[in-house]
Amino acid sequence: MPEAVVVGIGRTEYSRRSGRTTLAMAAEAGRAALADAGLEPGDVDGMASFQVTDSVINVFAAPAIGVDDLAWSADLYGGGDYAAGVVASAATAIATGQCTTALVFRSLNGRSGHRFGTVTGPIEVGGEGQFSAPHGYLVPPQWMAMWARRHQHVYGSTGEDLGQIAVTQREHAVPNPHAIARVPLTMDDYLAGRWIHEPLRVYDCAFEVDGAVALVLTTAERARDLPHRPVRLRGGAEAHCAGSWEQWPDLTTMYSAHAAPRLWSRTGLGPADIDVACLYDCFTYTVMATCEDFGFCGKGEVGDYFAEGRATYGGDVVVNPHGGLLSEGYVHGLNHHFEAVLQLRGDAGERQVPGAETALVTAGAGPYGGAVVYELGA
Amino acid sequence: MDPSIPPQPIPDEDTQRFWDATARGDLELCRCRECRRWLQPPLERCSACGGATAFEPVQGTGEVHSYLVVRRPSVPGYLEDLPYVVALVELDEQPGLRLPGRMIDVDPEKVQIGDRVEAEIVDLPGGDYRVPVFRPVSSAG
Repeated sequence: MPEAVVVGIGRTEYSRRSGRTTLAMAAEAGRAALADAGLEPGDVDGMASFQVTDSVINVFAAPAIGVDDLAWSADLYGGGDYAAGVVASAATAIATGQCTTALVFRSLNGRSGHRFGTVTGPIEVGGEGQFSAPHGYLVPPQWMAMWARRHQHVYGSTGEDLGQIAVTQREHAVPNPHAIARVPLTMDDYLAGRWIHEPLRVYDCAFEVDGAVALVLTTAERARDLPHRPVRLRGGAEAHCAGSWEQWPDLTTMYSAHAAPRLWSRTGLGPADIDVACLYDCFTYTVMATCEDFGFCGKGEVGDYFAEGRATYGGDVVVNPHGGLLSEGYVHGLNHHFEAVLQLRGDAGERQVPGAETALVTAGAGPYGGAVVYELGA
Repeated sequence: MDPSIPPQPIPDEDTQRFWDATARGDLELCRCRECRRWLQPPLERCSACGGATAFEPVQGTGEVHSYLVVRRPSVPGYLEDLPYVVALVELDEQPGLRLPGRMIDVDPEKVQIGDRVEAEIVDLPGGDYRVPVFRPVSSAG
């Protein structure tokens, strides 16, 4: 089977108010990724994206950049939990010969348009949400506060432990010219941050932005003629589990308790083999639970792991060298892939992780998510 | 747009009887008639054995499995109650059977995981629905 590799990356500016359509931003990021790959729109015959009715779909994005015919197209409905699977799906389509070159994108006005953390009324809610929404319990920062509190109860983790994650990632974002939040953050600043939903403070939450990211994947064979060293998808694993945000058995773990063993077994790798970990960080607590589940440290040890410098330059692994969704901006996790590719190519400039050869990208939170491992190709 | 009105439920064929029960002041949940497993959210057929389901009364007692303190008006409703507590309550009927609900008559600083609570049915502002909320019975200490 043909092996799929990432050969191009593109993105727009990340801002608080783009003043643009998601179509325009998807087109800009897509064109940038193709230019980076040294390919033309006519080379693209596959497309994948994900969204929650807040963005343009493939059949409108493709023609906007001059792609006339998609031999393969997948519009996934979902949030960050598909940010790894969307890339793995495109790789599978290439590996099974359904297309040769696929563009993967996420475009959203996450700040000026629909904001995930806030709902304005009046609204009616169906599905499982009809049992929680009438209590004013409806938005992701509330679910994550509920889960984080349970972790604090079971493992004795603290607000300061979550703060270590926020502070470390901000330190990483400071030299990143593309990041939305570059002002250094101290633990005192973190603790003085306003409560959103206790036990989560403002710095525990992703920094919502407007923007788009795109990746180009093609076959390893095709990649030989292209300008960049290809970044190979070593493997991926998904876990979309029963249980929902209310009935999930153990709120101190996430989908990652299922996906991590799958991923390590499929790739033959373990946490010690990873140089760069772009851990999905819609909230600091997501990093805490998934960092434990993927085996970087034991349950309840994340605060010390970050405080001792093991999650930054010179430590065990560099977690979110771009600053992550917390500080670079919430492009729903596709920006994690951009960073992973940049790091493996050695093109990350001032924030380059020395000798980076493998990168983990995780996606999602709670019962739903997935992950992929990238490595530098031949 | 009235920011004082909390989200209203949209009952469907699977959930209607929950809302019929709260309208009468009762708390009833979905239960498999075959294997007797409680199911939340409700389903037409049991997720474990595929058996037919029906709604049956629960005691409404349980313990706080986790909770958060809502500090910011992210969702319409209860603005005058801020900060308020939303708990995920594990009911006594079955391990892992949980219902989310606002807590009433409680100091947000004093809530603890493990606190014993009991349900009370109250009017949902802004419409005709009634919802279960939870009142502390005894502290986890």
